[in-house]
Amino acid sequence: MHRPRFSAQTLAVLADLCATPSQWRHGYGIARNTGLKSGTLYPVLIRLADRGLVEARWEDEQPAGRPRRHLYRLTPEGLAVATAALARAPDTAGTRAGARVPGTRRAAAGTAP
Amino acid sequence: MNWLTRLTAALLRCSAGVLPADRRMWARALWAEADEVPAGWLRLAWLVGGVRLTIREAALGRTLGYPLALAVAAAGTAWSAWSGPRGDSAVAINRVDVIATAVILAGLPWVVRRARGPLAGSRLARLVRTGGYLAILALVLVKAAVERVADAPPNHLEAPARAWTGELVFLAVMASYAAVILACTARRSPAAPAAVAIGTVTGAAIGILVYALGPLGFPLRFTGLWPARLYDAAMALGALLAVCAPAAAGLAAARRPRRSMSAGSDARQCAMTGLCTGAAAALVVAVLSTATIALLPYASGLRNWAADHIGQWTPIVGQVTPLVGTRLGYVAGNSAFAAGYLIVLLLSPLAGCGLGGLVGRAAGGTGVSRPRLPAGGPPVPRPALAPPGGPRPASK
Repeated sequence: MHRPRFSAQTLAVLADLCATPSQWRHGYGIARNTGLKSGTLYPVLIRLADRGLVEARWEDEQPAGRPRRHLYRLTPEGLAVATAALARAPDTAGTRAGARVPGTRRAAAGTAP
Repeated sequence: MNWLTRLTAALLRCSAGVLPADRRMWARALWAEADEVPAGWLRLAWLVGGVRLTIREAALGRTLGYPLALAVAAAGTAWSAWSGPRGDSAVAINRVDVIATAVILAGLPWVVRRARGPLAGSRLARLVRTGGYLAILALVLVKAAVERVADAPPNHLEAPARAWTGELVFLAVMASYAAVILACTARRSPAAPAAVAIGTVTGAAIGILVYALGPLGFPLRFTGLWPARLYDAAMALGALLAVCAPAAAGLAAARRPRRSMSAGSDARQCAMTGLCTGAAAALVVAVLSTATIALLPYASGLRNWAADHIGQWTPIVGQVTPLVGTRLGYVAGNSAFAAGYLIVLLLSPLAGCGLGGLVGRAAGGTGVSRPRLPAGGPPVPRPALAPPGGPRPASK
């Protein structure tokens, strides 16, 4: 079976999304948790979405005082791939990308209501 | 800070509009998130990241950067070549040059697109097309600079009818170059990517070599015995290389593996490689040499060097040596460009194409073949041959 190889930044994003796989997350929340800058985070999200590992949608209702946000979560396939990838490289996501380990600090900060 | 943040946000919003449809929502998502980010440097950094995203995702360099760079280069060429006193025939020629070149470079892509399709998706195609266009613009620019000096008072344009005829030939040659560049870099190009790459690189190298051997289009003169002998040897080697390069490049390109084949395609690819080699060499040497000629009136060091190293070889150069200042540029410019580089530009691609085609046909006749790829995938590695007498026992 082909095992995709992910960069440290991608693993950090996968780890963060894995922490709350059923919940929709927004980009700034993921950026806060992973420590990634927007110019790094969004290309990662785009590649993951292109590969069918992440699904995206806009917020349903228009919130007052701010634009609608774009929300992300892992697809079932994405969850399986992410789990396998993180199991193979458990330290990479937390060290090389400078990312925080999800669940230890503000893991739910980026969780959409 | 606030105005910078607002400006970056506006830039991000506008640039999102030029993204492909499937990427636009990502830039908008990033923009929508900016309100969540604390104001100040953090928000600015977030938005700057968004601009970076649009550049990466839209390949803005492809969709906007290349046309923008060409537009700026064309505008610069027009601005530089347009100036001059009204009524001067040389200025009129320069203005016609600018207008006609702009029409050619802007209009030909539409024509070629119908026949050969849009620009191929590869980086090579973009580089060759942009480089070729820039070389044509540079040639128009330096030619205008030479003619502005050559025909300015106290010099005057001699035989305006002949000058206008030469101008028409020049524009026809430039249109042919633009058409070749566009066709070779189109999606349905008659030349394989390897033929374009090998031909262009070889041609550019030959052009630089020819320029180094005779920067003003004339052979150099050395006073010492050894420098003169070395120069003669370099000239002989350079001539040999210039003649052999299109054929060698054609053979190299034809031996590259390709997935699609048609009858006679080896010979055709050899000819296309030779054409690219000849065209690139002629364009490079014409631009560099004409630029050197254009600099002559303004660079005293270059002028002194030219006076020391050029002359007494041919009757034409005999006229150059005693002249100084702008008139040196006049004589060298007129004789070299009008009589020399236009012919080089005209004949070099044809000679390259002919040589490449001949060698390709000859190589096909002698059974020289290239490795061929299966239609659906990469080449299958050949199994290692067992040594005679069966496999050897493993060494201990």
